[in-house]
Amino acid sequence: MTRLAHLWDQSRCIACGACIAACNAANYGSSTSPNVSWNWLRTNIRRIELSNGPRPMLYLLQCQHCENPPCVTVCPTGASYKDRDGLVKMNYDLCIGCRYCMVACPYDARWFNESMWTPVKCMGEECQARIAKGEQPVCVAVCPAGARDFGDLDDPSSSISRRLANSRYVKLLDNMGTKPKYFVVVGP
Amino acid sequence: MELQRREFLKLVGTAAVVSSAFGVVHVASASQQAAASPSGERVVSVMCGACGAGCGLLFVERGGRRYLLPNLEHPQPGMCGRPASALQMWSHPLRLKKPLKKVGDKFVEVDWDTALNEIAAKLKEVVERYGPESVVITRHDVHSWFLPLFQYLVGTPNLIGHEGTCHSASTAARAAVLGAGGPPIVDPDYENVSYLVLVGRNLDAAMGLVRRLAAARGRGVKIVVVDPRAPNIAFGSVEWVPIIPGTDAAFLMAMAYVIINEGLYDADFVKRYTNAPMLIKPDGTPLGGKEVGVEGDYVAWDAADNAPAPLDKAKDPVLMLSEEARQRVGGARTVWELFVERVSKYPPDVAAKITDVPADTIVRIAREFATARGVIEDGWYAAKNGNDFDTYRLILILNALVGNIDKRGGLCFQESAGFPNVCDPAGPDVVTVTGVKLPAPKAKRLDKLLYPLNTSTFDAVYEAILTGQPYPVKALFIVGTSPLQRDARYQMAVEALKKLELVVAIDIFPHDHVDYAHYVLPDLMYLEREEVATVRWTLHAAIQKSHKALDPPPGVDARHAPWMFMEIVRRAWRDRAKAVGYDERYADPHKFEEWERQLVEAALKKVADRFKVSVDDLKKALEEKGFVVLKRKSYGVRPYKTKLGTPTGRVEIYSITALKNKLDPLPDYREPLYTRPKAPDEFYLVNGKDNVVSSHFAFTPNAKYLGDRTVWMNPKDAERLGVRDGDEVELEGIDNGFKARARVRVTNRVREGVLFAHAFLGGRRSSLITERFAYLREGVNPQWFTTGKIEPVVGSAPTNSTVRVRRL
Repeated sequence: MTRLAHLWDQSRCIACGACIAACNAANYGSSTSPNVSWNWLRTNIRRIELSNGPRPMLYLLQCQHCENPPCVTVCPTGASYKDRDGLVKMNYDLCIGCRYCMVACPYDARWFNESMWTPVKCMGEECQARIAKGEQPVCVAVCPAGARDFGDLDDPSSSISRRLANSRYVKLLDNMGTKPKYFVVVGP
Repeated sequence: MELQRREFLKLVGTAAVVSSAFGVVHVASASQQAAASPSGERVVSVMCGACGAGCGLLFVERGGRRYLLPNLEHPQPGMCGRPASALQMWSHPLRLKKPLKKVGDKFVEVDWDTALNEIAAKLKEVVERYGPESVVITRHDVHSWFLPLFQYLVGTPNLIGHEGTCHSASTAARAAVLGAGGPPIVDPDYENVSYLVLVGRNLDAAMGLVRRLAAARGRGVKIVVVDPRAPNIAFGSVEWVPIIPGTDAAFLMAMAYVIINEGLYDADFVKRYTNAPMLIKPDGTPLGGKEVGVEGDYVAWDAADNAPAPLDKAKDPVLMLSEEARQRVGGARTVWELFVERVSKYPPDVAAKITDVPADTIVRIAREFATARGVIEDGWYAAKNGNDFDTYRLILILNALVGNIDKRGGLCFQESAGFPNVCDPAGPDVVTVTGVKLPAPKAKRLDKLLYPLNTSTFDAVYEAILTGQPYPVKALFIVGTSPLQRDARYQMAVEALKKLELVVAIDIFPHDHVDYAHYVLPDLMYLEREEVATVRWTLHAAIQKSHKALDPPPGVDARHAPWMFMEIVRRAWRDRAKAVGYDERYADPHKFEEWERQLVEAALKKVADRFKVSVDDLKKALEEKGFVVLKRKSYGVRPYKTKLGTPTGRVEIYSITALKNKLDPLPDYREPLYTRPKAPDEFYLVNGKDNVVSSHFAFTPNAKYLGDRTVWMNPKDAERLGVRDGDEVELEGIDNGFKARARVRVTNRVREGVLFAHAFLGGRRSSLITERFAYLREGVNPQWFTTGKIEPVVGSAPTNSTVRVRRL
C-alpha cells in the first residue's frame, strides 16, 4: 500500500508565506483573481492565526487527504475520489459544481474556483505532475525552514515516516472519524 | 589560503550531475532560452532581487507553468513569500511601462530618446551652474554595483544609500568593535550554533540563514527573540521576550552583569583578544607606551614582569590592577575595570524596571547564553530607537565575553570573494575596474560631513535641499528605492522633493516619490536581466550569476537602468562616456549588454587572479550552476591569526574609534530619540519587516492577503480603550502631530503599551495607483510619525515613534 501524507512542523514554521504563494504560482498560474471562498489568494493553503491565547499560534491549513474523506462520501458523481496513492483527488470532467464536498469538509480545505466552475483543493495539477516525476509538491520544495515534508506513511524509511517517529504531533479534528493524513508536528 | 585548481573544480564540478538526477535540463543563458528540453522544461538560475539578501533561486518553466524554486545547491538558497510571488510582480498592471514626463501636474508618456535627451540636458545645466556635488543619487540594493560608475562620471561624491534607516548603527558598531563592515561580513554560524539570541532581528531574510538554522533547530537548539512584537519566527518554538521598545541596551547590560559577576566569561579570550587589559588614563585616553617607557600606542600591565608592557606583548596581562601597579601607571585603569564599573549600574533588578523583562528571566537567559557559549545576532535592520549604536556594540561585546568569535557555531567573519567594486578611489583619482582613471570629486559627501561614522544618512539630504547647506542640492536620481517609505523625515522629504530642479525616478512600480519626479523611467525587474555578484549571507567566499529568465511582458517598454545611466552620461558629456569606452554603438540596449559584460569580465579576472583559477572556469561554472564557491569558511582566523581592523587590532570593548569621534568609548543604555508615552492613550509605535513585506512586494495582489496593513494592539490595551478587532482609530504622532487613520488588529503578537505596523507596506499615496489597487492606500506608513532626529556621528535615524490613539 501507499499512503501519501503531508507533514507541517508548527514548531519550526517561520510563516514566510513561501508555500502559500508558491502554490498560487505553480498550480494557479500566479492568478491575481481573488479566492472568494476564503477571502484569500488562489492557493490551497490557508493561514490561521490564534491571537488571543497565552502566546501567538499559527496554523497552516490545507487538504488533510483523509483516509475516510467526507468530501468523497458526499460527491454525487464520483468526481471526488481517493486514489490508490492515498491522496484525495478531483476528476474535473465529472464535477458538476454542486459544492457538496466544500460543505462536507470539516477543515474547509476546498475553495470554489470561478474560472473552472468547480471546487479545487490540494493537490493542484502541477504538484500532482511533480509527484509523478518523483519530486516533492511545491509547498514542500520551497520551504526554507524545514517545516514541511511529504511522503509515504507505509514506507518506514521515508523522510516523513522517520520524522513522525521522532516527533510529537497532532492530527486536526481526529475525533471526526476522518482519519486525516496532515500531521502537525508540535515539537521533537 | 590559495585554492588549487583541482580543489576548485571539486567545489564547482557537480552541476550537471545533480541537475540530471532530477531530470532537469538546466538552460542557463538567455541566448539559449529557446533550447528547452524535449519535455518543454526550462530551468534558469536566478539571484532573488526581492530584497538585499540575494538568495539563490531557480526559475522553472514547464509547459505553460512558471514558478520559482530555491536553488538548493547554492551556498545561500531561497526562498520566502516574496520571490514566490515574483510572477505577479512581473505581469503587474501597475508596472511602470513607458518613460513618463511631468507636464504641469500630469504625467505624459514620452519616448526614450526624448526622456534621456531632456534629462541629460538638465543634468548638464545643473552641474555647470551648481557644481557636480549638487547631484545626489540614492539607491537601496538594486544596481548598487553599477551606480558608482555613474556617480563618478557625473563627478558627484553624493551616492547616498538607504542605510541610515537600515543598518548604519549596527555597521558602525561592527566597525568600532570588530573593525568589520556591513551586515553579511559578520554573522552567526547558524547551522552550528548552540544557542541563539535575536535582538530586534526576525530573520525575514536571508532564507539561506533560516535553512542553516533549521539544521540547528533539528538538534533542539534554543532561540530567544527579544522584540516588543512577536515576529513571524516567534510563531514557532522560540522564547519570545516582549521588551519595552528602545531598552535593549539595558537588557544586554544586565546580561553582561550576570556573566561577569558569576564568572561565566571566557577570561582567556578577554585577556588575549579584547582590549580589556588596555590601560586608560584618568582623562579617558589610552596610556601610550612612551609615557611609561615601552613601545607601542597601547599598554597593559604584565603580571609576568610586574611592569607595564605593550598591549600585544604582555605575557600575562591583568584585567584588574593592584594599587601599587596603578600608582606606577599614573592612576590609569584597565578597560575591564571601567567596563565592569559601567555594567555595575545595571543589575538585573534595575534592568527589569527599565525593560519590563523580569529579573529572573534576564539572569536565566544570561546563564543559558554564557554556559552554552551561544551567539547573539549582530543586526541588520537596526535603525529603530536612536540609541542603537550602543545596543549593537553591547551585542558584539557579549559575544566576545563568551569567547565565541570566529569559532564553529560562533559569530564568524565571512570569507571574502574579493569581487571588486566597479570604481575605487586610488590616491587622487578614482579607478574603474577596467583601469580607467576618473577624477575624484572635490566636495565631500554631504551626509559624511555630519555623520562621519555612518554608512549613509539620506535624511541629511532633505535638510541640505531646503537650506542649501553645506552646499546646494538641485538634482536627485532615485534608483529602485522608495524614500518616502524608507526615510524618517517624511514631511521634510515631501517639501524637499518639490524644491528640486530635476528628480528622476527609476523603478518598476509607482512608489510615493514618483509623484514628485520630473521623469519616471521604467526599469527591468530581476527576472529580466543578468547580474554577477558576491553571494552575501554565507560564510563561504562565493560569487553568483543571475540569468535572464524572461523578457518584460507585452506593453512594458522597460530598459536596463545601467543603460539609462550610460546613455544620460553620453548625451550630456560624450567625452566622459568615451573615456570608459562607451559611445553610440551601445545605444542599442542589446549592444549595451556587450559593453556591460566587459566590466563584469574585468571583475571576474580579478577574482580569478585572487583564487588562482582561470576566468573561463569561473564563467563556465557561473553559466552551468549559477554560482561558484571560491573558498569554504575557515574558523579561528580573526582575531587569533589575523588582527582585526580596529585601532588595537583586538575586539574593542573600549572603542578608540568612538573616542576619536567624541562618543562615549564604552556602551551604555541611553534614552531613545523620541518622547516616551506617558498617558493611557499614548503608545510606542514600533515597526518592522517580515518575509511577506518589501516595498516592491507590497504591490502584488498576494500582498493584499499575506501582507498586513493593520496596526497591532495588545488585547489588554484594546479592552482598556474599548477598541475591538477591525475598528478604525486615529493615530497622532506625539512628536510631530501627524494624524492618520488605521484599522486595529487586536493580537497577542505585540506587548502592552506598544502598537506595531509593518514598514514599507501600508499608506501608499501615489496618484498612479488605480482603483483596482485601492487597498494599497490602507494602513499607515510608520515614517509619518517619526521625529526625524538622527543618532549623532553614526547617522542612524530611528523609525519607531510614539502616538496618541483616538477611537473614532
